[in-house]
Formats: sequence, C-alpha cells, structure tokens
Amino acid sequence: MRNHALWEKLRPYVMIAPAMAGIVLFVVYPVLYLVRLSFYKYNLMNKAKSKFIGWDNYRKLFGNDDFYKSLVNTVWYTVGVVALTMILSLLIALWLRRSSRWNALVQAGIFTPHIVSIVSIALLWLWMMEPSHGLLNYVLQSLGLPTSTWLQSSKTALVSVIIVSVWHGIGYYALILVAALQSIPPSIYEAAALDNAGRFKLFFRITLPLISPQLFFVLVIMTIGSFKVFDTVQVMTDGGPNQATSTIVYYIFRYRSTNIGYSSATGVVLMLVVGALTFLYFRLLSRKLHYQ
Amino acid sequence: MASIVFEQVTKSFDRTAIIRDLDLTIEDGKFTVLVGPSGCGKTTLLRMIAGIGPQTSGRVLIDGKDVSRVAPGQRGVAMVFQNYAIYPTMSVRENIEFGLKNNKVPKEERKRLVESIGETVGLSGLLDRKPSALSGGQRQRVALARAMVKKPSVFLMDEPLSNLDAKLRVQMRVELIELHKKLGTTFVYVTHDQTEAMSMADTIVLMNEGVIQQMSSPAEMYHRPANRFAAEFIGLPPMNIAELGPDGVQLGFRPESAALSEEPLDHHLCIRGVIATREMLGSETIYQVRTDKQAYMVRSAEDRFEVDRPVYVGVPAEKLHFFGADGRRIDERSSDVRWYLEAARGLVYA
Ligand SMILES: Nc1ncnc2c1ncn2[C@@H]1O[C@H](COP(=O)(O)OP(=O)(O)O)[C@@H](O)[C@H]1O
Ligand SMILES: [Mg+2]
Repeated sequence: MRNHALWEKLRPYVMIAPAMAGIVLFVVYPVLYLVRLSFYKYNLMNKAKSKFIGWDNYRKLFGNDDFYKSLVNTVWYTVGVVALTMILSLLIALWLRRSSRWNALVQAGIFTPHIVSIVSIALLWLWMMEPSHGLLNYVLQSLGLPTSTWLQSSKTALVSVIIVSVWHGIGYYALILVAALQSIPPSIYEAAALDNAGRFKLFFRITLPLISPQLFFVLVIMTIGSFKVFDTVQVMTDGGPNQATSTIVYYIFRYRSTNIGYSSATGVVLMLVVGALTFLYFRLLSRKLHYQ
Repeated sequence: MASIVFEQVTKSFDRTAIIRDLDLTIEDGKFTVLVGPSGCGKTTLLRMIAGIGPQTSGRVLIDGKDVSRVAPGQRGVAMVFQNYAIYPTMSVRENIEFGLKNNKVPKEERKRLVESIGETVGLSGLLDRKPSALSGGQRQRVALARAMVKKPSVFLMDEPLSNLDAKLRVQMRVELIELHKKLGTTFVYVTHDQTEAMSMADTIVLMNEGVIQQMSSPAEMYHRPANRFAAEFIGLPPMNIAELGPDGVQLGFRPESAALSEEPLDHHLCIRGVIATREMLGSETIYQVRTDKQAYMVRSAEDRFEVDRPVYVGVPAEKLHFFGADGRRIDERSSDVRWYLEAARGLVYA
C-alpha cells in the first residue's frame, strides 16, 4: 500500500524524466558549461594549462572597442531586418490575403528563398552586388539611377547585408501573416462595412489587433534570430570592410580558437541581451495582444 | 423607416444563379420574416439589402431610392449576424460605439447613447468587458445593441436566436417583438424555424430554392397555404397529404384538424387505421395513424388511444385542402372543389 502511494507520487517525474534528461544534457549543461568557460583562460591544446581567471574575460570584453562596434552593428542590423521584414511581409500578406490561384503562385515564389540555403543566397547576392560587374549596379545604371558600392564600402555594407537577410526571410513571415489574415472571419469585415468604417480604421482597429499574436511572434522570433546573425556576414563580408559588418556572433567566432574563454564571455553577454530583450517585449507588449 | 423593393433581382455565385428574377416588396415599418429551409437563399437576400453581397443584376430600392451603388455603411441599415460578428478585440462599449465613431457622433452623445442602449438590452454592468468574457445570450445582446444604437431605418437579422438555448430563445422572441413595437422601424428577420416565423411576423415570406413560395400573414399562410410546399413547411407536424384521384390532385389536412375515435365518425372524410406511434407532449398527444397505404399524423388533446389499436380519423369538409398536380392550391371557391370533396368522401374506408 505504502509502495503504491509512493509510486503515484513519483510517476509524473518518472514520465517526464526522459524529456528532462534531454533538456539537461542538450540545453542546461551546455549553457552552464559556457558560463564556466567564460571564467577561464582556456587552453585548447592542453586542458591542464587552463586556469580560472574570474571576471577577467568580461573586463577585457567591456574594455574592447571592437566589441562595442560589433554590438552596435548587431543592434542596427536587428532593427533594420526586423522593421523591414515586418513591414514588407505585412504588406505582402495584405496583398496576398485573398486566396486565388495567382496569389498562391506568387506566395510560392516569395517563399522559395526560404528553402534555399542562406549560404547559396549570400553567394548569389555577393555576385549580384559586385560594384563594377554585378547585376544590381547594371540595372541601376540602365535605369539612370545612382549606383552603389554595396559591400565594398563601410557606409553601405551593413545595409547590403540587411537587404539580403530581409529578402531571405520575407516569404516565410508573409506566409505566417497570410494565414493569420485568412483566419479572420469575413463577417467581421462585413459588420465593419455596415458600421461605415473607413480603410484606415479597418486596418488599425480590426485587422491589426486581430493578427497581433502572430505579429508578436514574428517580432520575437526575428529579434532573437537577427541578434545571432552569422552566416550572411561570414560568407559576404568577413565582418568588413573595416569592421562595418562585424556582429556579435561573428566576433565570438573570431576568437573561437585563440581565446575560447573570451568567446564564451561574449556568448554569455549575447544570451543575456537577447533574454532581456525578449523579457522586455513580453512585459511591454503582451497586454496589447489579443488571443482568440 | 423605409420600405425595401427588389426589382428583377438575380444573384449568382460562380455563374450559378441562386436567386433569379426576384420581385419582392417589404413594407415600411412591418416585421417581415424570411423563412425557408437551409440553403434556400435567405441570407443571400438579406446581404443584398445590406449591400455586403450585392446583386448580380436587377435593382434594390430602399425607401424608393436605388441603393445599388450605395456603400453598406450609407444605406441606413443595421444587421445582426448569425454568428453575431462582434469585434473580438474591442470591449462591449467599443463594439457598440464603433459605428457612431465612424459616423462622427460627438463624444458626449456617444457616451449617452451607449449607456442608454446598454440599459435597454440589459448590458449595463458589462460595458467594459471583452466579448470573450460574455455568454452566448449576452453576445447576442451586444450584436443587437450595436445595431440599435445607429437608429437604422431598416433592421436586418440573420437567425439571431439560433445559437441560444430553447428557453432564452422564447424569451428573446418576445423581446424582439416588443422592440419592433417600440422602434416602429422595418424589421427583416431571417429564420429557418417556422415556429419563430409564425410567432413573430406581420408578414411571412416563404422561400424555397431561391423562389418565393408565398407571402402573406401568418394566419393566411396557415389557413390557406398557396402550395404543397407551404402546406408542409408551416405547421408542426406538417400537413398530411394524400393522393385523391387519377388527375394528380392531392388532399391535405392538418394534424390538429382531425378527430380520433374508436367508433366510425360521421365527418366528411373518415379514415380507418391503426395507431403506430404515440408522442405524449403533456397538453396534447401526437399520434401516427397507419393505414395500408400511408401514415397520417394526428394531434389530439386526448391521450387515451393506445398503440396498435384500430381507430378512425375524421376531418370536416371545411378543414380539407386540395392541391393540383402542379402542387398549387385549388381555391375553395373554385367549381372543381365540389367534385374533389365528393371524391374525398369516397375515401371512407370500410
Ligand atoms: N459565397 C458563396 N459562394 C458560393 N455559393 C454560395 C455563397 N454563399 C451562399 N452560397 C450558396 O447560395 C445558396 C443560398 O445560401 P444562403 O443564402 O446562405 O442560404 P440560407 O437560406 O440558408 O441562408 C446555398 O446553396 C449556398 O451554397
Ligand atoms: Mg443563412
């Protein structure tokens, strides 16, 4: 009898144990290990030579101008990508909301970049953005528009990287928003038409609030993703020219073999920044959301 | 206040005409009920009045003016949707206020109107709630208040009571009738429920497959159905129909017009049969009487007849209806009726 009662108590924990083991092994342990590493001067060749150095890595990090440069670049990159993607994908979603064969075709077309590897896409754009032989400048020139230096100048490099990322992600987020728009019952719009609502009111008072959960989802997912941008930078610019496109993750990557403790400290800072930002979003916006 | 006129109106979806060349006049200030089986085009008709599903061809006139090119919000109509179509992100107050705001009603007056309408429909304490925190009946009231507050000249309602429980539905029926009396505006009410139509309407418009079958007062529709469809749609259980003669004429009588007895009856029509089923409803009992040809429903105040017992069903001559081979009612003043009545007497079963 006693045994039975004990089993009843333990059973839920036994049931979730496999999942918990996975989480501990693949999430909790790596994070803790990362934090541990950040307090060490780690020697990859000889583990025994690694030594605990306390906050030294962090002190060095916050005294390094390159780190601040990367952080600022990352913030600008995130702001640019999130804002542009959200606005453009919303506009595209509004355009594609009516389900027709033509719209399905366009949607498939816009979605296609998402299933192609970002590395291929980055290479493709790298080639198109080549200032003297690239397609983009050729088109701009033949249209009589001013050309750009694209990735080759520190003034335009970050914007160029942003353009590629937006182009890559837009189809996927438009798809999410189209689904959200299509789930709004048409009778709501009919009621609004009978209530004499103008287009402006319709959009800001009906449509936008009704898709707010999906917009919020896109905002959070994209912010987190953009803060961790790496592959585009690695393929297209190597962080250059003159650090103009060096982002936090790229910064971490640069020290991967020379100073892994220092890299880890940067990683911990990135984790805290993203965590704080997500927390902030939830605090500021979650009350404005409408869940069905 | 306004009358509504349909002139040669056709409505097609993807080239399939749901309603074809319809003419209809809905009188100013009347409570008109559109009734018919599901899918017959009632909602389609209502949406053409509102302008949210405009006609393919023909004209719709409200108060004598062709509104074909008038936007829904400018037609002076308000509609209660079947699913209520309440704005889920707005509070009850904002829902009611939305139309007023769009029509640039000043803030002070808006506030006054919303509170007074809230009072009328019994939502006073709930104005700041979100629709998700309301019951079905309360949501229905929000939809009603949202329509009323605009003081429309035409009130459209699409099965507004079909999502409510039976008791609330009966209560709301009475409230809507009173509301109509108080406002005196034109009400167009859609339902598939003949009881609702009978109990609320000044005028019933009975539709089937996009065609108006009959348009008349409830009493007229009950006592003088224009065709077999009307006869069988109005009334519960529906009218009994039996073959009368070789020329396809049919005879009909309502379950409540028949008398039951164990002895042969000297009514004009007398049928002998056996009680097949019996439904006790309390104040009355519904019997199914089976003959060797078909079954008849009889509604009786008496509950003493047992299943499997032979009985006689008697119907007086003035309660008999006759329908031609085309399903149309044969007027009781027509000369043929005498002949059909004789034929009906011949139906007496030994
Ligand atoms: N948007 C639409 N597209 C295609 N067919 C429709 C549409 N709306 C209604 N119909 C068709 O029109 C007919 C009448 O529908 P409706 O007016 O909704 O009937 P009800 O009398 O039940 O309200 C139905 O056969 C329905 O399938
Ligand atoms: Mg309907």
